[in-house]
Amino acid sequence: MNKNISKEYDVIIIGGGVTGAGTARDCAMRGLSVLLVERHDFATGATGRNHGLLHSGARYAVTDHESAAECIKENMILRRIANHCVEENDGLFITLPEDDIAFQSQFVDACKTAGIGTEILDPDFARRIEPSVNPDLIGAVKVPDGSVDPFRLTMSNALDARIHGAVLLTQHEVKGIVKEQDRAIGVELFNHETKQNVNYYGKIIVNAGGIWGHHIAKLAGVNINMFPAKGSLLIFGHRVNKMVINRCRKPSNADILVPGDTICLIGTTSERIPYDQIDNMFVSRQDVDVLIREGVKLSPTLATTRILRAYAGVRPLVAADNDPSGRSISRGIVLLDHQERDGLSGFITITGGKLMTYRLMAEEATDLICKKLAVDKQCETAEKSLPGAEKSEHPLSIATEKVYTGANISQKSAKDRHGTLAKNILNGDDYEDSLVCECEGVSIAEVKYAINELHVNNLIDLRRRTRVGMGTCQGELCACRAAGLLCESFEKPGKAKDDLANFLQERWKGMLPITWGEGINEIQFTSWIYEGIYGLKPDNN
Amino acid sequence: MKFDNIIIGGGLSGLTCGIKLAEQGKKCAIVSSGQSAIHFFSGSFDLLGKLNGQEVKNPLEAIKTLPDAHPYQRVGIKNIARLAVEAPQLLDRAGLQFSGKSDQNHFVLTPMGIMKPTWLTIDDFTRFEQNDVFPWKKAVILNFSGFLDFHTLFVQDGLKKYDVDVQIKNFAMKEFEAIRRNPSEMRSTNIAKVFDQGEDVLNEFAQKVNQLSEGFEVVILPAVFGLFTKNVVTDLKSMINKPLVLIPAIPPSVPGIRSQILLRKRFEELGGTYFLGDIVEEGTFKNNRLVAVQTNNHGNIKLEADQFVLASGSFYSKGIVATRDKLYEPILGLDIDGDIDSEKWLDEKFFNDQPYMHYGVKTDSGFRALKNGKPIENLFAAGSVLGGANALKEGSGAGISLLTSLHVAEQILK
Repeated sequence: MNKNISKEYDVIIIGGGVTGAGTARDCAMRGLSVLLVERHDFATGATGRNHGLLHSGARYAVTDHESAAECIKENMILRRIANHCVEENDGLFITLPEDDIAFQSQFVDACKTAGIGTEILDPDFARRIEPSVNPDLIGAVKVPDGSVDPFRLTMSNALDARIHGAVLLTQHEVKGIVKEQDRAIGVELFNHETKQNVNYYGKIIVNAGGIWGHHIAKLAGVNINMFPAKGSLLIFGHRVNKMVINRCRKPSNADILVPGDTICLIGTTSERIPYDQIDNMFVSRQDVDVLIREGVKLSPTLATTRILRAYAGVRPLVAADNDPSGRSISRGIVLLDHQERDGLSGFITITGGKLMTYRLMAEEATDLICKKLAVDKQCETAEKSLPGAEKSEHPLSIATEKVYTGANISQKSAKDRHGTLAKNILNGDDYEDSLVCECEGVSIAEVKYAINELHVNNLIDLRRRTRVGMGTCQGELCACRAAGLLCESFEKPGKAKDDLANFLQERWKGMLPITWGEGINEIQFTSWIYEGIYGLKPDNN
Repeated sequence: MKFDNIIIGGGLSGLTCGIKLAEQGKKCAIVSSGQSAIHFFSGSFDLLGKLNGQEVKNPLEAIKTLPDAHPYQRVGIKNIARLAVEAPQLLDRAGLQFSGKSDQNHFVLTPMGIMKPTWLTIDDFTRFEQNDVFPWKKAVILNFSGFLDFHTLFVQDGLKKYDVDVQIKNFAMKEFEAIRRNPSEMRSTNIAKVFDQGEDVLNEFAQKVNQLSEGFEVVILPAVFGLFTKNVVTDLKSMINKPLVLIPAIPPSVPGIRSQILLRKRFEELGGTYFLGDIVEEGTFKNNRLVAVQTNNHGNIKLEADQFVLASGSFYSKGIVATRDKLYEPILGLDIDGDIDSEKWLDEKFFNDQPYMHYGVKTDSGFRALKNGKPIENLFAAGSVLGGANALKEGSGAGISLLTSLHVAEQILK
């Protein structure tokens, strides 16, 4: 395994979240040789477990001016460089009768200071442009919020890093940091596929492990004080709202409803949890109660909308170095040069921040790496589009294509998901156009593309790349079809059967806190098909 | 409108019960809200496949060790033995030929390529007497190009255990081009319709199968033949020059839909009335008796009967409903046998014994449904709306449906 790839790199980045992928892209674009390692799959940590909100920054305008200003700047950049990952939906900040309307003017002023465009709407007008909004609202402000698909965004960064020469290893877990005196010189990895250990060496090791970065720093012998904060969210079975709906008040629990693709989601709660629980995320009934109670205030129709899934992510909150108690928490970007801080050279940590500021975090980290390696090259990630988002040179032809071609549902969905990269998905052939996943319009061709090009190891990875099994049926029928295709590609039917079993267990985990009503009907049906008719077991080999 | 018996639910239980009653001269009506679980039929009916995680060899013996609350125990072991003989005869009269023994499970090949114990198998499919022997050494699996609901590699993988040399071949036929063009149309029922249309297609197909299977001892195909008539399967078997093993595809099941159609036909030929697409909305109770039911389509016209049978199925048929914190029987508001505490309904492991699977309508020892703690004298419950067993884990779903409904019919006929 990996006999053909180099064992030595300028930079080794630990973590396949959006920060790691973004840093890999930036480093690779500046001409560095890059290895990215990830223990599971891309976007499996906090990156893939949030709202997918393209913050305008308005949420932070009153309480955290710096974050707000960073957000709006990055928001505008992402619309440019990642347009295939972004839905420009706009957002509403609504004031309900129980809220203080006086907050609205303070909010609008703060947005103005941060550079966020606002428009105060008449409640009547707000009801008309967003029919799902709570009709009792007494005030509404429109802001440039949007939606962003974090899986797609991370993958696009990883793909671009690869295009620029980076090597990407998923299923590789860091077990140790190789040190030589006061210098980190490499990583000890465990390959989950082959069950073997392997070492790689780098001039700079970047800890971009999110909350898991606390543990990775420990492996390097340095201490970062991180406090895990769990945030739970609910995904609804269809998209009730057109625009993002927020509450116009100080940030609180469950006050953002974000539409995305075919669904919408409400979140989040916020709860400090012990560090040893970060791999054991579950959503409690209390979390679900809060989310529904508050969600219904944003859009009353949520009370009767089927919930597809509940999930939780962990924010990495970093305590200031001089405050071990964790009371003084920074939500901003934290870039630690462990040479200066702890006397360990060749090791840096990039953490804190948020999905919206991943590019800026990557830029700051890469600036530091370049400084250390004496590389003089400017950051270009804010100007150059991500693969899939390139603007066509013939905008008119795109427009006419949209109107005139008879693209079928799978071709259209693929275009939405992969942007201009959809051209790499062979279609036109009837066989390749057959639908694997009917809820999300995923074709054989798209599944094959994902398997061949997008680092897919199993069904759960495939879900993140293509939305197979993310729709209303939650993989009831498509999981088995996709498993069949994976099996064709990998020629490991025994593994594919276990993959299918793991996929069902993974889905079940997300359904457990919200399984009632139609949810329990669906899961009983799924059980009868897979266990009853197919005879699938948790272990099939 | 007045009937002798009204059955709520048109699935396997409802139809079995209705046929038995109608055969005895009762004037019956079935109210069915639509599709039933027979549409997901695997081709076999299980009596008891597993007990405490172990495969059962002799279901009739094993049933004796089931807990008292189990539907089989409530029917009574002697009755089970007798009704288990009667069930395939009733199916046979409806034109559905099943074979198997209640005191010795046989095996069928699942889409995962493994042998599963079962009781009765419809004659489309192949019965295996042992789970460690596959009678042929060289097999070919054929699939329609673009048909994703049949997993050839899984079957091949499973058959490896039997030292079978298995080859997979995909093929296309021009008759399937039209359905293949629409990305969501390449499904089992649409393929079956093509074969139902005429003999020419079947002939051409059989020739192709004979060609592709030259040098092999057995042909394996997905079960996509004979949606409206069984003749397609019989004809195909006679045209192919070697044994043919069919394997279920992803639902909807072609033999399942055919079984449903034939059972309904039998019921109607016996004079039964089948109200399809109608929903019972409420019942009128008097002195612990159900006097009449009101349905959506019949509006003010009440449906009256001497006896009623509730065969409305489990959760996925909406026979039982779970809200966030409550379980209830949605049609007549009957008592539920299940945990009050909603935290206890589910197990965090998908493949574990899920508590909710055991839930159902509470009945007395004679299968009379309870309402507010009291049995309704003329209202019986049958099939998967009953609690007391995890039919999925046991492999007892069809057995419970068939035998409890026959038993209930006997109570009514007494």
